Amino acid sequence: MRRFLSAHDRKLFLTLTGKDLVHMKGYRKYFTKKVVWFLITFVAALILNFILPRLMPADPVAAITGKLVGSTTDATASARIYERYQEEFGTNKPMWEQFFTYIGNLFKGDLGTSFSQYPRKVNDIIASAIWWTIGLQLPAIIVGWLLGNILGALAAYIRKGFDKVLMPLSLFLSSIPAFGMAVILLVLFAVNFKIAPVSGAYGFDMIPNFSWSFVWSVITHYQLPFWSIVLVSIGGQAIGMRSMSIYELNADYVKYARFLGIKDKKIVGYVFRNAMLPQVTGLALSIGTMIGGALVAEIIFSYPGLGSVMYSAVTAADYPLISATTLIITLMVLIVTFILDIVYALIDPRVKAAQFD
Amino acid sequence: MSKIMLEVNELTTKYITRFHEDVYAVDHVSLKIEEGKSLGIAGESGCGKSTLALSLMGYYFAPLHYQSGDIIIDGKNISGMKPDDVRKNILGSEIAYIPQAAMNALNPTRKIYKFIEDVVLAHDSKADKKDIFEMARERFSRLGLPVETLDKHAVELSGGMKQRTVIAISTILQPKVLIADEPSSALDVTSQKMVIKMLRDMMDSGFIKSMIFITHELPLLYNVTDDIMVMYAGQIVETNNSHDMVFNPLHPYSKGLMGSIIVPEEGVRDQKLTAIPGTPPNLKNPPKGCRFAERCKYVMPQCRFNEMPMINLGDGHQYRCGHSHEHLKEMYADEQ
Repeated sequence: MRRFLSAHDRKLFLTLTGKDLVHMKGYRKYFTKKVVWFLITFVAALILNFILPRLMPADPVAAITGKLVGSTTDATASARIYERYQEEFGTNKPMWEQFFTYIGNLFKGDLGTSFSQYPRKVNDIIASAIWWTIGLQLPAIIVGWLLGNILGALAAYIRKGFDKVLMPLSLFLSSIPAFGMAVILLVLFAVNFKIAPVSGAYGFDMIPNFSWSFVWSVITHYQLPFWSIVLVSIGGQAIGMRSMSIYELNADYVKYARFLGIKDKKIVGYVFRNAMLPQVTGLALSIGTMIGGALVAEIIFSYPGLGSVMYSAVTAADYPLISATTLIITLMVLIVTFILDIVYALIDPRVKAAQFD
Repeated sequence: MSKIMLEVNELTTKYITRFHEDVYAVDHVSLKIEEGKSLGIAGESGCGKSTLALSLMGYYFAPLHYQSGDIIIDGKNISGMKPDDVRKNILGSEIAYIPQAAMNALNPTRKIYKFIEDVVLAHDSKADKKDIFEMARERFSRLGLPVETLDKHAVELSGGMKQRTVIAISTILQPKVLIADEPSSALDVTSQKMVIKMLRDMMDSGFIKSMIFITHELPLLYNVTDDIMVMYAGQIVETNNSHDMVFNPLHPYSKGLMGSIIVPEEGVRDQKLTAIPGTPPNLKNPPKGCRFAERCKYVMPQCRFNEMPMINLGDGHQYRCGHSHEHLKEMYADEQ
């Protein structure tokens, strides 16, 4: 039947001969394995997320009681208030019982009540902070990644002067720690030149709404934290992409393609597609670890995102809030690596061949 | 006399090292191949075989540079053409190349039929993709390659399959000259045989009009090509038809080369194996006289000073030595 095959029937033929069925079966097995691992890691992370904050040597309930009772010296009254709060937060129960209550509430979508911002619910705090983080980090990571990769690829392809300038600059940028870059930008543009606001996500005298003045305020407050993240990630990405591209440009298949008369434009396309593959991993991981990465920039610029929330939660030993933020980090890393595993197997035939057997 | 497919006159190419030294790895090489004929190039590692292969393509990139000489493919001189013209109109369509490391010659993330599409479109931008696929499919089945190969990535193929696929891709545009640079050196004997069979088959069916086959495995050349050329230190030292080259080598280096291999043929089998002492000269400063003088058993004082001319004995047999051919034959006869 092979002889009567038209280009259109090719796919069908492969399916009929079982070639693709074998692939499908391999893929399903691979997928199931990944899902099982995902669940195991998630459960382990859930337990650690719960236990680790609670091992801190602090009594947040006493702190709230202290705040409420103030200067009263009535010991029985404060003891009663303390007990009431223990009852409400469940901290008087054994750890395992607390854990199951926590899990039970989690399934209902309830992350508990914050200690430090009592009586705000953790859900509310997270919901108001998460969009600031995503809005700041996601574009910054993507822009930094794109610019870094384009510059690195150009440096590898053009070499000469461009490379000689870009390489040291990238090394310099990537070796500055994130907080260093944030402080440099802050001092330069906010303190010295006074062309950008010092802190916050919008003017502190404003109430969030959709007026032009508010949007403009958000945009001006956005610039410094945004570029501090972009600049640092450009350096690292450019260095990685440059060396990958140089490696690929000297690969045997490039020489062979040239000798077959294929145009440089096409060959450069091959090279950058292949050099890009490891960079995709880098992108996915920085998206996954977004909140941890945001911590420094958000604290320095007092940006109201999840990084700031996590920071204040840790300093106040606010167990429910710490568990919630670390849970979000865990989930994001897990989901991103899961997607990466699946997508990578589809875009790189070498990984596919290795994984599906 | 049939048409001459490839004619090379006094081709000289050089490597420019990082320290701006010139290394002439191909030094005044001339050769001729007629339609339907194949030429084998033999020599030890570093003698310039692979560089000659690259030089013949007429397209140079650093560190290899063109110096002088002509490459004429089917009457068209390509050595004066612009690199972009060579790439568009000559490479792949007139003269094609099979690389030494075919294992890594294919882009790991491109399917074979996509790559073939790229090759064809580079020479004919108006070609229809469906036609290209159809053509590739026909060619693959004609050459005995499974058609499913087209829908695969390079990683999914075995070494032998990869090599044969590369050969099929190189010849997809039916080039007049095919240059095969050690296409079978990395393969086991069975795969080697298949590769050789495929190359011969392509010659017979006219997919390629002539072929240059480079190898260090002399017994293979004897079975594959019509003529054999022996290279030493960037120069041709002897050219002859395969049979005479293997059984009656004339140049002392050819003689040493043929004596150093095991050939299971009648008449040669009983000879004892010999080795050639010494190492080839450094091409940065080649010796003034005969380049083989230092290692030659039959060296005369003047060999070290006089430039050795190529001596033509007619019938395609030529050699580069200070001794006359009668004298050489006498000396060889005395030894036995």
